Amino acid sequence: MKQPWAWVGWLIAILVILSITRNPLYLVLTLLCVLFVGLTLLQAGSDIPRPISLWKLAGWIIVLATVFNALTSHYGVTVLFTIPGKVPLISGRITLEALVYGATNGLVLTGMLASFTVLNLALPVRDLISLIPRAYFPMAVVTSISVTYLPTTLRQFQQIREAQAVRGHQMRTLRDWLPLLMPLLVGGLERAMQLAEAMTARGFASTRPISGRRQVYPRICMFLGLVLLALGWIAQLAGAGVYGLVIILSGALLILGGLWYLGHQSPRTTYHRRVWGWQDWLTLIVAMIVLSICLLPLPGLSRQTLYYEPYPALTLPPFSPWLGLAMLGLLIPGLLVLYKNTNEGMVSERMKEEE
Amino acid sequence: MKSRLFSLAIYMSATLSGMLVLLYPFFLPAVSQQAGFGTLRVEQMPLMMTLLLGLCLLVLLFEAQGPMVNTKLIALLGILVAINSALRFIETAIPGPGGFTPIFFLIILVGYIFGGRVGFLMGALTLLVSALVTGGVGPWLPAQMFTAGWVGMSTPLLHPIIRTFTARKTNRGSPTINPEILLLAVFGLLWGFLYGAIMNLWQWPFIIGPQNQTYAAGLGLLATLQRYLAYYLVTSLVWDAIAAIGNVLLILTFGAPALRALRRFRQRFEFNYTPEPGVIDKQQGEGLT
Repeated sequence: MKQPWAWVGWLIAILVILSITRNPLYLVLTLLCVLFVGLTLLQAGSDIPRPISLWKLAGWIIVLATVFNALTSHYGVTVLFTIPGKVPLISGRITLEALVYGATNGLVLTGMLASFTVLNLALPVRDLISLIPRAYFPMAVVTSISVTYLPTTLRQFQQIREAQAVRGHQMRTLRDWLPLLMPLLVGGLERAMQLAEAMTARGFASTRPISGRRQVYPRICMFLGLVLLALGWIAQLAGAGVYGLVIILSGALLILGGLWYLGHQSPRTTYHRRVWGWQDWLTLIVAMIVLSICLLPLPGLSRQTLYYEPYPALTLPPFSPWLGLAMLGLLIPGLLVLYKNTNEGMVSERMKEEE
Repeated sequence: MKSRLFSLAIYMSATLSGMLVLLYPFFLPAVSQQAGFGTLRVEQMPLMMTLLLGLCLLVLLFEAQGPMVNTKLIALLGILVAINSALRFIETAIPGPGGFTPIFFLIILVGYIFGGRVGFLMGALTLLVSALVTGGVGPWLPAQMFTAGWVGMSTPLLHPIIRTFTARKTNRGSPTINPEILLLAVFGLLWGFLYGAIMNLWQWPFIIGPQNQTYAAGLGLLATLQRYLAYYLVTSLVWDAIAAIGNVLLILTFGAPALRALRRFRQRFEFNYTPEPGVIDKQQGEGLT
């Protein structure tokens, strides 16, 4: 599965579910799906070195969120103990409900982090950059340059540090960073100069800029879209019901339509375009089905179980088997990776047998 | 002139819409006396805010990149964003105290020297690229990009103030401290606090805590402000103060040489390459664009 947009569809489904529910059962189920997909990707060999282990980070997030909420929110009826005194924010009752709510928040944050980590495992940075829409091609180029030059910049920083250390330079105060940062900045600007000259020499951005009506009308659309967004937001907050959401949706469509039109005004060449395979379609369709089941008021599904809260008195979280079953659909990218690995393994075994 | 006015209108409307999304707890009492968040549930609000801020950010980014189909600006921004992201990467590996981060130093200076558009892109793209390389991509990213973009975009507002100060100082004789650096440091100090205060708004309405610090629908503007201030003082002041002091120290220490370098390179970047019209038509005809 190589199509970035299929992965984005899967990611959106995960994020929406994590955003709308505080039911720990559904959160754990979603998190397990994400972890399964991540583990299958790791097994498939797409390991990207990370500065911090995800497990450690997840542990810290859950512990910190639990402790923070328990110390700052003194709601709930099951009092575990009381912190005496008049310490602002902290003094007061520590309740079981606040602990559970904090842990739930930690689970949500961990789920979001894990899902983005899985996306980073699944897609190389060049594919992530390819997700930037066509209307933003200058920005995509800037992002590509930055991502490409980042390791060079870090290496240059290291070289400057070593060169200064050889000269006996010591880092005692903030001012001692000046001989490190200024060569880094000036060296970077020199490199930008050379890069600009090289790009100009190769005819980059020498197309005729879009002008006239072809540029004005879409921008008018975007301006109107922004006005509608603001109006819809105010209407929604004022309790205008579905009308507010319709106005917001109209604004969003105007903005996206304007951007789509502008993006198709300049011809762009894409080398090695990613094609949509059956696995990509399957992932996208399943993700959208899961999302629809969780968002739409379909008969027979107790969607109220999504909106569980431990306050004021802790109760067991409700669980709808149908919703749980639907969420298992989020396993699909992992299952497809497993399927691919098994197929490849069988093919290689057959080839060995033939040899 | 018309185009500039239209561009200004888009900037204003995108900025105002973004502010409406973030600042709704303060005006909600004026539009609604009902409890809650209109037709949405508490759990749906962060998602809605991400979507709306994302759309405003898309328009602002498009407008800001408008005049950027220019190799010099693209290369300059690409390298400067790489340097700033490297600084954030180093800061992630070796965390500084509290909310200290070195990224705003360069965003402020670049916005000041190269203008609001480049400043906005510098702020927004620094957050984007550093999030891509440190794995910090998440639903909070649009709000971070938006606010960091505002830091760079608002810097040119300092030009008239600095001109006035410089003129006064010149009349009085040679200044002991460079007023330009001093004002940029004050600006960095303000944004150190403001960035934290704006980013707090992202989750403040949903936090459950002491009654005098949490959001409640139906209160007046002043009461809501009082509660937010109490929450900010208790939870964020020390953290943001370290960020603000860090900005001041960085600008006071490195501001003058960095400004000199950026000004020198701005002059060097002021060359123009205009291909002959015939060449463009030929290239487009051959599909070589």
